[in-house]
Amino acid sequence: MPYILNTEKDIKEMLTTIGISSLDDLYRHLPNQIKINKKLNLPSGLSEQELRSFIIALAAKNKTINEFNSFLGAGSYKHYVPSALNSIISRAEFLTAYTPYQAECSQGILQAIYEYQSYICLLTGMDVSNASLFDGGSSLAESILMSLRVTQRKKVIISSAIHPEYKRTIYTYLSGFNFKIQEINFDQQGLTDINQLTADGDTACIAIQSPNFFGIIEKLGKISSLAKEKGALVIQVANPVSLAILKEPAAQGVDIVCGDGQALGGFLSFGGPSFGFIATKNEFLRQLPGRIVGKSTDKEGKTAYCLTIQAREQHIKRERATSNICSNQSLNAISAAIYLSLMGKEGLYDCALYSLNLAHYLHGRISEVKGVKINFSNNFFNEFVWNVENQKTVIKKLYKKGIISGLALSKFYPGLKGGILSCCTETKSRAQIDEFIETLKTILN
Amino acid sequence: MATLKFSKTHEWAKIDANIAVIGISDHAQKALGDIVFIELPKIGAKLKANAQFGTIESTKAASELYSPLSGEVTEINKELLNNPQWVNESPFERGWMIKIKVENSNEPSSLMDEAVYKEFAAKEAH
Amino acid sequence: MDNRVIFDKTTPGRKTNYIKKPDIGIKKPDELLPQETLRNDLILPSLGELDVVRHYTNLSRLNFSVDTNFYPLGSCTMKYNPKINEELAALCGFLNIHPYQPEESIQGALELIYNLEKILREITGMSRFSFQASSGAQGELTGMLMVRKYHKINKSKKRKVIVPDSSHGTNPATSSMCGYETVVVESNKDGLIDLDKLSQAIDNEVAAVMLTNPNTLGLFEENILAISEMVHKAGGFLYYDGANFNPLLGITNPALMGFDVIHLNLHKTFSTPHGCGGPGAGAVGVNDKLLDFLPCPLVNKEDEKFYFNYKVKHSIGKLRAFYGNFSVLVRAYAYLLRLGKEGLPRVAQNATLNANYIKAKLKNYYNTASSKSSMHEVVFSCVKQKERGISALDIAKRLIDYGMHPPTMYFPLIAKEALMVEPTETENKETLDYFIEAMLKINKEIDDNPQNIKDAPHHTPVKRVDEVKAARNPDLRWQCKKIGA
Repeated sequence: MPYILNTEKDIKEMLTTIGISSLDDLYRHLPNQIKINKKLNLPSGLSEQELRSFIIALAAKNKTINEFNSFLGAGSYKHYVPSALNSIISRAEFLTAYTPYQAECSQGILQAIYEYQSYICLLTGMDVSNASLFDGGSSLAESILMSLRVTQRKKVIISSAIHPEYKRTIYTYLSGFNFKIQEINFDQQGLTDINQLTADGDTACIAIQSPNFFGIIEKLGKISSLAKEKGALVIQVANPVSLAILKEPAAQGVDIVCGDGQALGGFLSFGGPSFGFIATKNEFLRQLPGRIVGKSTDKEGKTAYCLTIQAREQHIKRERATSNICSNQSLNAISAAIYLSLMGKEGLYDCALYSLNLAHYLHGRISEVKGVKINFSNNFFNEFVWNVENQKTVIKKLYKKGIISGLALSKFYPGLKGGILSCCTETKSRAQIDEFIETLKTILN
Repeated sequence: MATLKFSKTHEWAKIDANIAVIGISDHAQKALGDIVFIELPKIGAKLKANAQFGTIESTKAASELYSPLSGEVTEINKELLNNPQWVNESPFERGWMIKIKVENSNEPSSLMDEAVYKEFAAKEAH
Repeated sequence: MDNRVIFDKTTPGRKTNYIKKPDIGIKKPDELLPQETLRNDLILPSLGELDVVRHYTNLSRLNFSVDTNFYPLGSCTMKYNPKINEELAALCGFLNIHPYQPEESIQGALELIYNLEKILREITGMSRFSFQASSGAQGELTGMLMVRKYHKINKSKKRKVIVPDSSHGTNPATSSMCGYETVVVESNKDGLIDLDKLSQAIDNEVAAVMLTNPNTLGLFEENILAISEMVHKAGGFLYYDGANFNPLLGITNPALMGFDVIHLNLHKTFSTPHGCGGPGAGAVGVNDKLLDFLPCPLVNKEDEKFYFNYKVKHSIGKLRAFYGNFSVLVRAYAYLLRLGKEGLPRVAQNATLNANYIKAKLKNYYNTASSKSSMHEVVFSCVKQKERGISALDIAKRLIDYGMHPPTMYFPLIAKEALMVEPTETENKETLDYFIEAMLKINKEIDDNPQNIKDAPHHTPVKRVDEVKAARNPDLRWQCKKIGA
């Protein structure tokens, strides 16, 4: 039997030690009517050799993004991942350890998470970060719950230009409570419509994504001052790679920053696992959900790390905890710290700069194509919206030519029925963009 | 002379005329372990008897603080916020938390005096 | 070892080029975007590849892990994570697919999810599964939000959730996140749910009872059918926290026990690696009653084509973006295929055997939390050792010196000085014997040299860490020192 090491002889000896005669006796106290008492209706186990061929064949039924000229982004970004990253993060001492409950034999995990927390703070400009949450969507939901605890208010305002799947997550996470969720539309420019923004004394937070779902950089400074007037917190969903170039959230009056960390050296993996990050100001530390690592000393005065501020958490505070989160996405968070270390200051900057430039190059070229209309603002980072008639047909025709042009926005915004969201990262080349444009021209003519 | 009274939630109140100083008992600090964080109300906050006035955390527990008496907060032990260990070292002196202006002079009589509380705490420990 | 943080190892000017400069004229950010949207400075370290590789490789060596050490961390099922699963999860065809690719280009991924669901349905007896949850706790939230929505739509006024006092902390925390009041029911002296107290607590306002079985003392709730009847009669649901499902694989299942909605921790029972705390995956299963409430999308099949089904009538929506921790699902699927119908019950039996073997060898020296028969884990209550001046914590720390990760300590809360030992089925008898021997040596050392235990661990990179200091003066991140400061 794979992975089970007890031999028949071992089992016999152990049964004797226990004082029973068969393995079935281990279950003799279970009521008979709940026992299965027959073989499961499953295939017999495969040898490793068979398993490998079978799964390789299954994987081969997927066409990977590398087989296309793809401009898909929309919350999951293909960036270049240095080989060294996989080599380090695959080490069993990271991969097969668990939450560092026992600090003395987990110093490496703890220091790596401390470094991760520091990186998130450096990127966002905030004071404190936790050790990770699940993904961008749930990190936003947790941020909103946090703002409700901090302010003790009952209403939240969210921008409709937040990733639609994140928005849906908010509604799900808040469905157990009687909080009011108000959604603010976006304007003609694709920006959250500030004229509709009317926070009041019961508003816990205004949640904004910037760059928003359409790629556009929001006017956070203005939104922050509106929120501050009413004592509401500002939550920003941010793309961590964009922060190499864009103004850090802390400098724009943001109180809680969250988002998805996949762009920091994570693979697409069909959308998961990635990790969620959350960072805030010192004053809200005790309302942060999830694990936090702190630096301390051991009893001989040597620098040592451990999990800390744990009285917020479910294993201590149970029904009064800040969140139910226990397992998080540590390995992905540590992976992001390694990615940032490898890329370094210049590397991350270049990654953001090239993405920005390629996206703007594509934008410039596509806006000259007859039949393409662009309505939204030019202040975008690595993705933007363009429009064509018969959007679905155009997407299909491009797909047949091996081009995935982007995401059809009608999937989430019926009002944007000609809209396509296209993205460029540093992995795109001029040749690929030019091929896309030429093919599009042929199709539209 | 000040009288020392205790609540069932392990807070003490030292009452002198209409001012009560409030903290947590030696029994409570021992049960909580090393105190690492304390949150106290603002001066001027109006408290009801048995209502929460703050929180206290150790490395292994978190607990609410309940006011034994009704009244307005007139002073808080600000230094304690930066020295939470005082609750462990000196729960009745340096570890005091808030002072309130007692609203209802009948309320103290419903609290336990020291001897009764000691018995109560000993029982609860089992 | 150089124990500086990575930020202190920076050398300005040092870098490795990983990415290609595109062959378009590169403009500066301020030529493309308004100045007020741009940041002034970014502090990140500058390092070479070897600097980084050595730094993190050396950090990794400071950790205990399943591959290097016995890791009997109770409730966490730290079984061996087969290497083949890593290789398969890293296949290009799985790593490099985008969540928004056209369905025809991701048929392999959808088929995998579909087939994994089929296997889990057979193992658990549930009707359907959702794989959106990234952990057990998020699985609980998924399940309980479905319960909540069911009651809402059926206009039944429910406001309470019952959990036993031995429950995982996530259960009451989840109940609060669903807006429910948590009612705690005490266990009886055997460590099982007290049926009388439960029946007193159950009324028409109870939305659900959340249970793990075996419970956190490692005991099978023998009265599970009576419990199920009680909660169902009151119009509530029975929720199964599947954290402890490992010893029941192929022996019984949640449906037979009367559970309506369950989560399985794929990172526990189905061997996907724990990754320093995640990623995991919570597979949430329901019976027919809750089918219409599952998160969307589900994966369906029609005419040999697999597709995402978003038409779930009363769906609670989404717990996260996209579809869940897909790479974790690949590993769990591979594991299940490898073990097959014969292997799964063997897993359960050997997990239970190993725990009971440890218990049999140690029970004369360490009290057990209950006299009842154990399943996959055994909870020792180190009160006899405590009386002699050595706590469960001390014993745990001393075990590190023997090269073993300590068991879960001080949980469940109802057992005094608890050490919760879950050896799992993948450990061999020699390892169990070594653990037993270490526990006996420590027990003896209490009389010979207690200070040595209190000073433990001795051979780790750091001695016992000052957690009080960490919490009193939080230092949660590296701070950039100003030049000249």
